[in-house]
Amino acid sequence: MSILEKLKKISHKEPGIRQFCIQTIRFKKFLENARALLDLFNDGREKALGEYIFDRHYVVSLIDRVIERLGMMVYDASVLVPKNGETLYAMYDKHKLAASNLINFSASGNGGVKSGSDASEISLSAEPEYQLLSDVLRWFDGKEVPADTTVMDFVKQTFFYVIQFDAIGGFESSDSMQNRNLFENSDVLSSDMGIYLVDLWKDALELPEASRSVRDFNSVPLRHLLMDVGGREATGPKKDSNGIPWVAAVSEYQLSLSTLKPDCRFRLETLASGYEQSDFIFIFADKSAGLDSILPAGFHVESTDYGQLAWNLDVSAKTIEDSLMIIGRKLFN
Amino acid sequence: MSDQPLKIMVIDDENIVGKRLKPALEKTGDIVETFEEGEKALARFAEDPFDIVVTDIRMEKIDGIEILEQILALSGRTKVIIITGYATVEIAREALSKGAFDFIAKPFKPSDLRAIIERASKELRP
Repeated sequence: MSILEKLKKISHKEPGIRQFCIQTIRFKKFLENARALLDLFNDGREKALGEYIFDRHYVVSLIDRVIERLGMMVYDASVLVPKNGETLYAMYDKHKLAASNLINFSASGNGGVKSGSDASEISLSAEPEYQLLSDVLRWFDGKEVPADTTVMDFVKQTFFYVIQFDAIGGFESSDSMQNRNLFENSDVLSSDMGIYLVDLWKDALELPEASRSVRDFNSVPLRHLLMDVGGREATGPKKDSNGIPWVAAVSEYQLSLSTLKPDCRFRLETLASGYEQSDFIFIFADKSAGLDSILPAGFHVESTDYGQLAWNLDVSAKTIEDSLMIIGRKLFN
Repeated sequence: MSDQPLKIMVIDDENIVGKRLKPALEKTGDIVETFEEGEKALARFAEDPFDIVVTDIRMEKIDGIEILEQILALSGRTKVIIITGYATVEIAREALSKGAFDFIAKPFKPSDLRAIIERASKELRP
C-alpha cells in the first residue's frame, strides 16, 4: 500500500490537516499527469516534423498513452473534486470514443491518400501514417476544430474544476475562513514568520507539539522562497487585517504555497529535486494578480477566463531556486 | 568507408518505412532494395546476398527473428540490424543473442540508422 493510500485510509477517521496534506499530494499527482500529457503532445509534434521514421504502431501507441494519462488525470481530479467526477468521466468517455474513431477510421483506409509517386519524391502529408498523426495532433490541440472538442480544452476544463475547488479552499471565502480556523487550531503557525507551515509527511501523521520556525523545515524550495524575504528584520510574510494570509505545505523538495486571502487566488506548486525531467514550477493566480510583475523570465503564461496559469518545465534545480527567490521577494517584500 | 557501395536490404511490412529509408540511405551512394514481405526478401537474398539487412522484428508472416536466422544461415558475413517498437525491446535482446549486429527502436531518425550501418561496414571492411 502506498503512503498516499495509507494516509487516505487514516484520513477517513480524522479530517483536517491530514486531509489537507492528502489533497496537496494528490494535486501534485494531478500536475504530474498534466505534464506527462504535454510531453506526449510535444513528442507527437516532433515526429510530425518529418525528421523521424515511424509507423502506424507509433501513432496508435501515442493515442493509447494519451488516453491512459488522461484517465489518470481525471481520476486525480475526481478525488480532488468528487462533485465533478461524473461530468469529468462523461467528458473522458467522449475522448475515448474520439480516440477509438481516429484509430478505426484510419484502419479502414480513409485516414489518408496513398501516394503513387516515386519513393524518392514522397509527400509526407499524403502518407496515411502522417495523415493519422496530423489528425491526432488536431484532436490534441487543433486550432481549427470546434471549441471544447480537443484534449487540451478538456485538460483546461479539468484544471478549472480543480482550481476552483482548491485543496485549502482559499478560493472560496467561506471555505477560506473555515481553513483559517483549521490552521489556527493546529499549531502550524511559523514562530519566526507570518506564515502557516505544514510538513506534508510528518504533520499528516501527527500534529506538531510546539510551534516551529522556518529553519526547522528541511525544504529546499521553501528555503529559497524565503531566502531574501524581510531584509534585516526577517519578518517575512506579514499578517494583515484578515490574519495570516499564506500557507506553505512542504517536503524536502516540494513546496505548495497558497493564499488564504478571501479576495485573492494564488497557488504555487513546485518540485526542485535536481531531476530535471520531473522538476517544475506551476502557478495559478487571479487575472488581477499581475503575474508578469512577479515571474522571472522563462515561464509559459496562459490567460484563461478564470485566471492565469504559468509554468516552467524541464528546468534545472538552480533555475527553480533562483526563480523562487525572485518570486518570494516580489510576493512578500 | 570504402568506395565500393554497400548493398543494403530493408524489410518492413509497414510501407512507409522502406519508402522513407530508401532515399535516405541512397544519399551516400549505397544500393538499397526494400521489401514488405519477408518471403520475397529471403528469395532475393538467396539469389544475391546483401552486405546489410535492416529488418523489422514484428511482421505478420515471417518475423524478424526468423529472417535473422535464415539470413545468417545463408551468409555468415551479413550484418543484420533489427528495427523494434516500444514493446519489443526484449525480443530485440533475443535477436542480439542470436547474432544480430544491433537494433534500433522506432521512431528513429535515418541518421541514427546510418550511424549503425557505418559501424557495421567497418566490421565488413576493416
